Amino acid sequence: MSDIYIICVEDEPQVLDVIIRDLAVFEEIFPIELAHSADEARELIKEIKQEGHKIGLALCDHIMPGDKGIDLMIEMQKDPFTEKTRKVLVTGQAGLEDTIEAVNNAKLNRYIAKPWNPRELVEVVKEELTQYVIQEEKELLRFTSLLDQEKIQEAIRTKGYV
Amino acid sequence: MPLKKRNHSERTKKIVGLALGITGFLIPWFMNFPGLSFAGHMALGIFLIAAVFWMFETLPIYSTSMLVIFLQVALLSQQGVVYSDTALPKTPVVSHIDGLWEVPSEALDGNKVYIVEDSRNYTPIEVHVVEWGETVKVQSDDLSADTQIVSDAQHKLVGYTPISFSNFFGTLASPIIILFLGGFILASASVKYNLDKNLTNVLLKPFGEKPVFIVMGLMLVTATLSAFMSNTATTAMMMTVAIPIARQIDMKDKFRIMLTLSIPIAANIGGMATPIGTPPNAIVIANLNQQGINIAFGSWVALMLPLALGLLLLAWVAMRFFYPPTLKRFQLELQSKFEKSSKAIILYAVFAITVLLWFTEASHGIPSAMIAFIPIVTLTVTSVLGKDDIRALPWEVLWLVAGGISLGISMENTGLAMWLVSSISWDMLPQLALLLVFGLVALMLSNFLSNTVTATLLVPLAVSMGTAGIAGEGFSLIITSLVIGSACNMAMLLPISTPPNAIAMSTGYIKTGDMVKIGLVIGLIGITTALILATFYWPLIIQ
Repeated sequence: MSDIYIICVEDEPQVLDVIIRDLAVFEEIFPIELAHSADEARELIKEIKQEGHKIGLALCDHIMPGDKGIDLMIEMQKDPFTEKTRKVLVTGQAGLEDTIEAVNNAKLNRYIAKPWNPRELVEVVKEELTQYVIQEEKELLRFTSLLDQEKIQEAIRTKGYV
Repeated sequence: MPLKKRNHSERTKKIVGLALGITGFLIPWFMNFPGLSFAGHMALGIFLIAAVFWMFETLPIYSTSMLVIFLQVALLSQQGVVYSDTALPKTPVVSHIDGLWEVPSEALDGNKVYIVEDSRNYTPIEVHVVEWGETVKVQSDDLSADTQIVSDAQHKLVGYTPISFSNFFGTLASPIIILFLGGFILASASVKYNLDKNLTNVLLKPFGEKPVFIVMGLMLVTATLSAFMSNTATTAMMMTVAIPIARQIDMKDKFRIMLTLSIPIAANIGGMATPIGTPPNAIVIANLNQQGINIAFGSWVALMLPLALGLLLLAWVAMRFFYPPTLKRFQLELQSKFEKSSKAIILYAVFAITVLLWFTEASHGIPSAMIAFIPIVTLTVTSVLGKDDIRALPWEVLWLVAGGISLGISMENTGLAMWLVSSISWDMLPQLALLLVFGLVALMLSNFLSNTVTATLLVPLAVSMGTAGIAGEGFSLIITSLVIGSACNMAMLLPISTPPNAIAMSTGYIKTGDMVKIGLVIGLIGITTALILATFYWPLIIQ
C-alpha cells in the first residue's frame, strides 16, 4: 500500500510553518512534504515517485524565486504521475491572467487567497483529498475518519463494496 | 512507520498462507487415508488449499473460488487430466474347488469385491473370505464364471464416478446464483435511481424525535433494505443518514455510539431475512437443493424473519442499556424526492412485482430463480440499466458463491465430507448439542473469516451427516443447515467480521470494545434463540 502525500510549495519559511500547523490533522494518514521553490518541488516529486507513493494534493504559492507556482502546476498537469493530484493555488499576488492560465492549463482545482482562514484551509484540503481518494483509491475506509464521511459513504454505496 | 510494518506482516501472512495452502494441497497425494477414496484424496487437497487460502486471504477470496473450480475441472471431472480416459481395471474370477472363487488380493476391499458393470460403474458385493494367500479364496452366490471384477480396489474410479465438467462450470449459473443476480440487478437499479434513499426517508418519518426510537427506525429500515440489497451498500447508504445526525450530537453523548453501532448490526441481521439477503444463505440453499430439498422464498422468510426481528430487538435493548442517550429529542430532516422519470417508474413497478411474486411463491409455484429473471430482463430491455451498470455488478460475489457450491459438490460425491465427519461418533450427541456445536463453530469462524467462506466449509459437513445417517435420531438436514447459516450471519464481534462493521468502525465514532460488547450479546443470545426456534418453531414451518 502506498502513501498519499500532500506537498506544499512556498518560499517563505514562516508561511510554510503556518500551513504545516494548520494541516497537522491530516498528517496521521497523509504525510506532508515541503519545498521552498519549484526546483525543490520537482526533486521532491521525483523522490516520492521513486518510492512508489502518490501525491494527492499540491498546495502551491505563485510568486517565488525561480519558476512561478503556476508553471510548476502546468508541468504537474502534463506529467501522468501528478495529473490526478489535486492542485490548489495559495497566493495573494496572482493576477487575472495568471489565474486564467492556471485554470485552463493546470486544471487548477482551488484558489486560496492569502491571508487565509485556517478553518477554511482545512475544509478545502479535506474536500480536495476526498475527491482524490474517491477517484483514485479502491479501499476508502481508512480515510473516512479524516475526510468527508458522507461523500465517502456515498461512494461506497454506489460502488456496492468496500 | 506503521504502514511499512503493516505491509510487512501482510506479506508474511501471504507467504505463510501460500506455503500452508500448497502443502495442504499436496499432502493427500503422498499419504493414504484409510476409508477415503482416491478422488476423496484429491478433493481433500482442493478443500485444504481452498480453506487455507480463504482463511489467510492469500488470494482475494473470489480468486480462490475460481481456483477451486479450475482444480475440480482439471482433477475431478470426466474430461479432466485424471479421469479423461480411464476405465476400471478388470479381471475375471477364477473358479476353484467347492464353489470357491479365486480373486487377486488387491481386488478385495475389506470383505467386498466390486463387480464391473461397464468401464466406470460397478456393484459392490459382500463375500465370505475363506483363505488368504497370494490370491484370496472367497465364497459368494453373486459370483459366476463370467463375472468380471475390479482388479484393484484402490483404483481411482472406485468410490467415485467422475461427473462432467459442466457440473462444476454450471454452478455459476445455478438457480441460486440467478436468484442473487436478480437481487443485484434490483439493488443496482435502486441505487441508480435513489430508491433506497427515498424509501429510507419515508420509512423513518413515523419514528418521531426520541433518540431511541430514531435508532429503532434506522435499524428496521436498514434491516429491511439489507434483506434485498447488499449489506455493505445498505450500511454505507444509512451512514449518509446517520453521519449528519452524529455530527450534531455532543461528543460525550452515548447516542452517537448507539447510532453508529445500530446500522451495521441491523444490516448484518437483515441479511438473514431473505434468501437473497446475504451470500451464506445461497450456500445453505444450494447445498439443500443438491439433496433435492427446495426452500421457497416465502418459507425462508417465515423461518428466518422471527429470528431477525428477535435479534434486532435484542440489539436495540442491549444498546439502550449500554449506551443510554442523554439527548431528549432530535429533529430529523427527511426529504424524499422520488424520481418520476419513466425509467424510475418502471423500476418501482418491477421491484414491487418481483418482491410480491417472491413472497407468494407458495401460491403460484413459480420458482424464485425464475422470478428473479423478471427484473434481469425487464430492467435491461427497458434500458433502466445500461451496459455500464451491468458491468458494475458485484460479479466477484457470484464467483465466490459458485466456487463454494462447486466445492460442496465434490466434498459430497467423493465421500470426503462423509469421511471428515464420520471420525466422530455424532450419534452419542443429543441433537441440540450437535446444533450448538455447529452454531458455535460457525459463529467463531465467521467472526474472523468471510461469512460465505464459513458457510462453504461447514454446510457440506452437515449435509453429509444427514445423507450418511450418522447423526443420530431426530437429525434434520434443513434445521442444521439453517443454524449454520444464521450463525454465520450473527458474527459481528470485530471490525473485520463483516464489511458493515468495518464501515462503522471507520467513522471513528465507536471503539472496538463497543462492537465486541454488543457483538458478544448478539452472538451468544442469538445462537440460543436460533436453537429455541430450531426446536419449537422451524419444525412447524418445514412440515
